[in-house]
Amino acid sequence: MIEFKDVSLVYPNGTQGLKDVNITIEDGEFVVIVGLSGAGKSTLIRSINRLVSPTSGELIVDNDNILKYRGRKLRKLRTKIGMIFQNYNLVRRSSVFKNVLAGRLGHTGTLRSVFNFFSKDDKALAYESLKRVNIEDKLYSRADELSGGQQQRVSIARVLTQKPKYILADEPVASLDPPTSHQVMKYLKKINQEDGITTIVNLHFIDMAMEYADRIIGMRAGEVVFDGPASEVTEKTFEEIYGRSIRDEDFVGGAEEDQDDSVKGAEEDGEGNE
Amino acid sequence: MVKEMNKPSLAEDKYAPMLSPWRVKSKIAIIFFIVLFFLFFSSTRTGVDFGTLLSGLSNMGQITDKLLPPNWGIVGPAMERLIETIHMAIIATTFAVLVVIPVSLLAAQNINSNKIVYNITRFIMNILRTIPDIVLAVIFVGLFGIGVFGGIVALFVFSLGILAKLISETIESIDMEPVEAMRASGASTIQAIAFAVVPQVLPQFSSFSLYVFEINVRASVVIGLVGAGGIGNLMMTRFGFNDYNSVFTIIIIIFVVVVLIEYISGKIREAIV
Amino acid sequence: MSMELPPKKPRSTKKLVRNVAIILAVAALYVWTFASIQIDFARVIERAQSNFDRVIPKLFSPNWDRAGEVIDMMIETIFIAYVGSLAAAIIAVPLGFLAAKNMTGSRIFSTLGVWILSAVRAFPEIILAILFIVAVGPTPFAGILAIAIGSTGMLGKLYAESLEAIDMNVVEAMQANGANRIQVMFHGIIPQVIPEFLSYAIYRFEIDVRASTVLGYVGAGGIGTMIFFAQSSRNWSDMGMILLVIIIVVTIFDYASSYIRRRII
Repeated sequence: MIEFKDVSLVYPNGTQGLKDVNITIEDGEFVVIVGLSGAGKSTLIRSINRLVSPTSGELIVDNDNILKYRGRKLRKLRTKIGMIFQNYNLVRRSSVFKNVLAGRLGHTGTLRSVFNFFSKDDKALAYESLKRVNIEDKLYSRADELSGGQQQRVSIARVLTQKPKYILADEPVASLDPPTSHQVMKYLKKINQEDGITTIVNLHFIDMAMEYADRIIGMRAGEVVFDGPASEVTEKTFEEIYGRSIRDEDFVGGAEEDQDDSVKGAEEDGEGNE
Repeated sequence: MVKEMNKPSLAEDKYAPMLSPWRVKSKIAIIFFIVLFFLFFSSTRTGVDFGTLLSGLSNMGQITDKLLPPNWGIVGPAMERLIETIHMAIIATTFAVLVVIPVSLLAAQNINSNKIVYNITRFIMNILRTIPDIVLAVIFVGLFGIGVFGGIVALFVFSLGILAKLISETIESIDMEPVEAMRASGASTIQAIAFAVVPQVLPQFSSFSLYVFEINVRASVVIGLVGAGGIGNLMMTRFGFNDYNSVFTIIIIIFVVVVLIEYISGKIREAIV
Repeated sequence: MSMELPPKKPRSTKKLVRNVAIILAVAALYVWTFASIQIDFARVIERAQSNFDRVIPKLFSPNWDRAGEVIDMMIETIFIAYVGSLAAAIIAVPLGFLAAKNMTGSRIFSTLGVWILSAVRAFPEIILAILFIVAVGPTPFAGILAIAIGSTGMLGKLYAESLEAIDMNVVEAMQANGANRIQVMFHGIIPQVIPEFLSYAIYRFEIDVRASTVLGYVGAGGIGTMIFFAQSSRNWSDMGMILLVIIIVVTIFDYASSYIRRRII
């Protein structure tokens, strides 16, 4: 369980990143955070694994305030929180397999990992994770040989290998085309349902948020301005969150029906993930 | 035809405004005068004017009389000392490459968040790079006595400064996103370096190491002149005896070997990057 | 846990053979090096122990009485570097044109140019200085010649590279306009490369300041002469003073040069 209690964050340059955020995220939820860019979505998500540090309030993860964590304790916290990034953040020159194994780093001793001594179980787990996102045939390819969608799937496999309790995804589909975006969201949703991993995703596309979220949290200027089940959300809600009328660019489009028309989608989806 | 018609107008557009703004011309004139002014001072001080230049160049003809014929008898001992020179370069480069790893990490802003340590490391490396190879050799030969050891230490220090700059700049230019991902998954700093930094810098690291080896081969010839072993030492001895024929032969040998090593090293570096 | 292990990475024998060959070659190189290098460690340690107090503390307490003389010689050094680089900056222009592939229109010429330039670069400046001392005697003039010739190699190469990178459309346009070779050169080519040429020349001057500090060691003028005398008389506090002046002056020139170069380009 993740609890934000009056969490605020002021950046050193004076920008208010978060303002009195109070939310509770239950285990197993699939939460989508929406808001315009600069609304504080990313700051909120990055507070949970302390890539940024809130300046006041309490952030309780599994009954402990993580804001005072440092060093080893912080690393320990991070091992149970997986993160997916907009730009996949893979080591481009390394193989897919090495990238996925990197998910085990937090669980492996420094010396062992530096000399690449991963246990058989770790290697099997990495391979298993790749199979779950249907990209095991690229095992020994270099990460930069893969398409964007494939790289994002590798980064999902990296997170799976980490065996996290929580997954944070910071704009995971912002660099992808619509069919690939849906595919990546489906994998995230599937993992959430099958493994019961609490998943928090930042998105700015309305249709996508409504399609995949159990619960939607709306943010504007560092504040939570909406929090409710996805079923209650309408376009009007979004207009309130965004503080302006809805435009075309707020939709990703390319929902399922279109997927078969797109060559790229067909190629990437060849393995049949359903 | 249409293509040909278009081009002249493009060129005119680009350069027409440059043709004669008065300010540009006066600027050029000022720079020209400054250059001449310093040239005047320099030539008075160094005693080199146009006259000496001409007479010097006519003297240049005598150089062949003094240098030729080559003394082929020196080739045997020269080769022996040349191998010593190359060994010095190999050892110094190896140690510099090993030591530069932690040093360049400390001198990279994106890895070392400790500003004080970063600045101190940078400062020391910047100073090292200003000291000429020969001066380092003079100091270390003075400390450790005549011979290869002082030379190796001098080359080590000399190449460490150059390598640290090249490699820390490479590290600063890497993509930090994977590092962020590793940190977010609970990896320690050393793990993040091993998995996210090392793969990104390895090609340049190898290439720069070879490049510094090339520099070291040349420098190891030079530092021999001050008593740090190797072929430079032999050359200085012959130079002291005014045995210019041997000096010339040694220079030919050095030339051939330096070109050869740079050629091989260049080919390897092309293959790496 | 019954999970499948990943398949082994397919390895090609060719790559394997190549890697083994490389490892063996490197290992052989190191065995050869360390087996044949002759270092008498006992003597080195003994020397270091007896010399340490005589050398290191003196280096760090420079002899300020000699400051004036050292600075004076440093100025001579800078002048040597200045005249040398200036000469090189000029001599390198025709050589750069010769070596640039898009200028002469003849592969033979450009190959010849490249060969001349790389041959010159292979000589360390101090070796050139020795050659010129043989020719013109132990004077600053020999130092200037050494710097001039040594710098020509690098500048010519850099000039040629920037010539190869120019926008040839402008040149073609002028030719189409009926401009002759000289006109094309002065109005089409030179304006494009002048900032880079200047920047390279200044950069080379920065290197030459450093390089010319040592030329005096073999008699070619400048502060190197003092290095030679300080070494032979084991006067380490003089050496400290020389070192201090070199570090300061070289640092100043480095900063000034990179500042000016940033402004030019």
